[in-house]
Amino acid sequence: MEQILANGVYLGSQYAMIALGLTLIFALMNVLNFAHGQMYVIGGFVTYTFYGQWGVPFVLALVMSCVTLAILGALIEKFLFAPVIKGSAREESTMLLAAGIAFFLDAVILLVFGEKQRGVPKIVDGVFNWDFRIIMPYDRILICLLAILSIVAFIGLMQYTKTGRALRALAQDRTAAQLMGVNVDRYSMIGFALGAMLAGLVGGLLVTITGVNLGMGGPTSIKAFMMVMIGGAGVISGAIWGGIILGFMEAIGLALLYQYGDITYLLIFVSLMIFLAIRPQGLMGKPWG
Amino acid sequence: MSPLLQVRNVTKKYGGLTANNDISFDVAENEILSVIGPNGAGKSTLFKMISSFTPTTTGEVIYRGERISNLRPHIVARKGVVRTFQETTIFKSMTVRESVVVAQHLRARASLAGYFWGSKTAKNDVTAFGKYADELLEFLGMSDISKEQASNLPQGSLRALGIAIGLATDPKVLLLDEPFAGMNHDETMNMVNLVRSVRDERGVTVMLVEHDMPAVMSISDRIVVLNFGEKIAEGTPSEIQNNEKVIEAYLGSVDDEIGM
Amino acid sequence: MFGFSSKQLIGVGLFLFAIFIGVPLVIGATGRWDFYFTLTSVALLAIASAGVWLTFYIGRINIGQGAFALIGAYVSAILVVKAGWSFWISLPAAGLFAAVVAVLIGLPILRLRGVYFAMITLVLTQVVTLTALALPVTNGAKGISNIPLPSGISVFGIPILPDFAAMENTKLAFYYTACIIMILTYAALYRLVNSRLGHLCRSMQQNEELASSIGVNIAYIRIVIFAISSFFGGLGGAMFGSIAQSVYPSSFQVADSVNFMLNCFLGGLGYVFGPMLGTLVLYFGWDLLFEFGKYQMLIYSTILIVIIRFLPNGLLSIRFGKGGDK
Repeated sequence: MEQILANGVYLGSQYAMIALGLTLIFALMNVLNFAHGQMYVIGGFVTYTFYGQWGVPFVLALVMSCVTLAILGALIEKFLFAPVIKGSAREESTMLLAAGIAFFLDAVILLVFGEKQRGVPKIVDGVFNWDFRIIMPYDRILICLLAILSIVAFIGLMQYTKTGRALRALAQDRTAAQLMGVNVDRYSMIGFALGAMLAGLVGGLLVTITGVNLGMGGPTSIKAFMMVMIGGAGVISGAIWGGIILGFMEAIGLALLYQYGDITYLLIFVSLMIFLAIRPQGLMGKPWG
Repeated sequence: MSPLLQVRNVTKKYGGLTANNDISFDVAENEILSVIGPNGAGKSTLFKMISSFTPTTTGEVIYRGERISNLRPHIVARKGVVRTFQETTIFKSMTVRESVVVAQHLRARASLAGYFWGSKTAKNDVTAFGKYADELLEFLGMSDISKEQASNLPQGSLRALGIAIGLATDPKVLLLDEPFAGMNHDETMNMVNLVRSVRDERGVTVMLVEHDMPAVMSISDRIVVLNFGEKIAEGTPSEIQNNEKVIEAYLGSVDDEIGM
Repeated sequence: MFGFSSKQLIGVGLFLFAIFIGVPLVIGATGRWDFYFTLTSVALLAIASAGVWLTFYIGRINIGQGAFALIGAYVSAILVVKAGWSFWISLPAAGLFAAVVAVLIGLPILRLRGVYFAMITLVLTQVVTLTALALPVTNGAKGISNIPLPSGISVFGIPILPDFAAMENTKLAFYYTACIIMILTYAALYRLVNSRLGHLCRSMQQNEELASSIGVNIAYIRIVIFAISSFFGGLGGAMFGSIAQSVYPSSFQVADSVNFMLNCFLGGLGYVFGPMLGTLVLYFGWDLLFEFGKYQMLIYSTILIVIIRFLPNGLLSIRFGKGGDK
């Protein structure tokens, strides 16, 4: 039981970070970022390259993941999403763009990093063992702590800085924010960069444990969508709850239904559909987002 | 003669808030009845319950001896009680005429499959819809804008379009949601005349929710006044004008009104 | 005729001539027999995309068509292989089964709107894939292979449909079959959109509250439309399984569902024939880029991004201008 809880916390903290980035982008621009999983994968490969290949200290490699994705996110927003949102008769057109970007990033990953599964040396050795009730390698604990720390830092940023206040105003009501003097174009770009950066950061963190490969992008996006739906789209607390809940469901399901293979995911999906049928706006969402 | 529509002890609660508390009144056939009250008095909520867009917490609405509350909106519309919306609720990318044609849904004789295969009844329907749409737009003085796309219309025409869409369904009772809001004096007078002719020439019973006092006084046969979710008065315009509770309610909230 | 203008009739005539006579002539002349398979796939995917487009028409973004295509493919395969049905009867059965599933799933999820509906349909594809892996009747990951080719049908000794297994050139036969089904699908779609049901759909797409205030039973129409949409998905999927002579849980995946949606977007949501064009451009384009080897995906996605960047309202918007409807 304790083991399951520990696994839940570990998974949940990672998932919450992925969902945070996705929900931030959604809240700001009403864009469903299909490329989120690919951004996560790129983050993983950047850390792999710096830390695993070139021997740069892990923390520095993480920073490089963040910087790379932030720049990538900013460029994508400025040169692709912003003009398409302006020129499109229907806002759904951004979905096509997001999917195109997902394909594009997949292609870039394939060309630059190849198809192989890549891993990096452990950042810390050893296994924490509490009486065989909780067994967890130290690197997982460290990564989990780093993830929680990042989430706290992100919430702090959103709550207490000028940028954060502007982003929240923008997420709440675009027109009102503009009237209040928020530079909408600039903060959309910052917000997108921030969301992409979060994806890159989780990618960098998790590469030390699960490694990274080209095929992880799509499934990661789907999981992120699920978390966002559980919590309510565009709501920050919802993303965190969604991540934690999915993390725990997976941890519990995999422990109990281990021998049945993928049935855990089937059950998670089905229960999600039932949940949303009863509560369409998710846990924390406003009705109809 | 029994009243056409009866609101009986209707209460609506949202969580801890009471939007309407134990409201009862009757609507007679062929009358124009206005529901007025300061902002937040619960007028819109009451309309939503009458048209079944939201369920009542307790109480019921009776139309021709039948309960019409707590059903679904399209069923209430089928029975002949139809609401209109404020101007933002339109079919944006349809033209005025297309909107009025599509709104004649309830008048259709052919089945949906009949329309798909192009049956004779369906063809007759299509001709009849077009003809009735032209007639209705003529009646409402909207013939000249019938080919305009709804999203391009000015506010006043949008309000008229809303009424046209409502009338196209062939209602017995039409619920108008703030038909005079944001209009100047002339526009309001035009609309008052329009609403009157809807009642006089089409035999439609009209209920309206409104802020504009002079318009309400000139158009209504009777008025129901709400304040803080309670009914505080009911009567003819002159009775309402001299009702102390009403005066008090309005004096106390003059400042709120300006925001509208 | 059927209320078409002569210009439209000429257009339809040219189109029919091109696909039934033009394409075989060109392929015969160039010797690119592989194009038959490509174009057959385009026709089948266009059928499934037509369904996705129809759900767009009631204002719902459907990224779950892969689920219904997979259901259709399995139903047809199981009926043919395990129950010994004729493929031609299993084909409508597959569509109907997909439609029934759509009704059951649609009852709860069609209440969702916007991105919520989009995301849950995306999850739906995954659910069906996982179910196919888990159920005994679908044979798990091994899937169903060795599906026989469609057998012939004759009524009173007169052959109506030929036996595909006895044919020398099944490619051409499948191509013609797929084209005929596609044309029937789009004819039905065109008719539906321009009939009363289509008008009601448009009213719902633009404002569900107002639609219900004029007496439209929006819940009912949503279900009907979703069922028709999934019927098309099941049809396309079943036909695909028959051509590939096999079906696996991975035959239709999330990426396929996304592609169906992209076909519609790219062709243009305002145009009935948009999804057909979108499918042709996307699938054929992908195929043509094959010779670029490892750069295929990069070039493909770049073109996709450039198109959406400069034509955000779809390919057909060049001709009709912004916001046009027909």
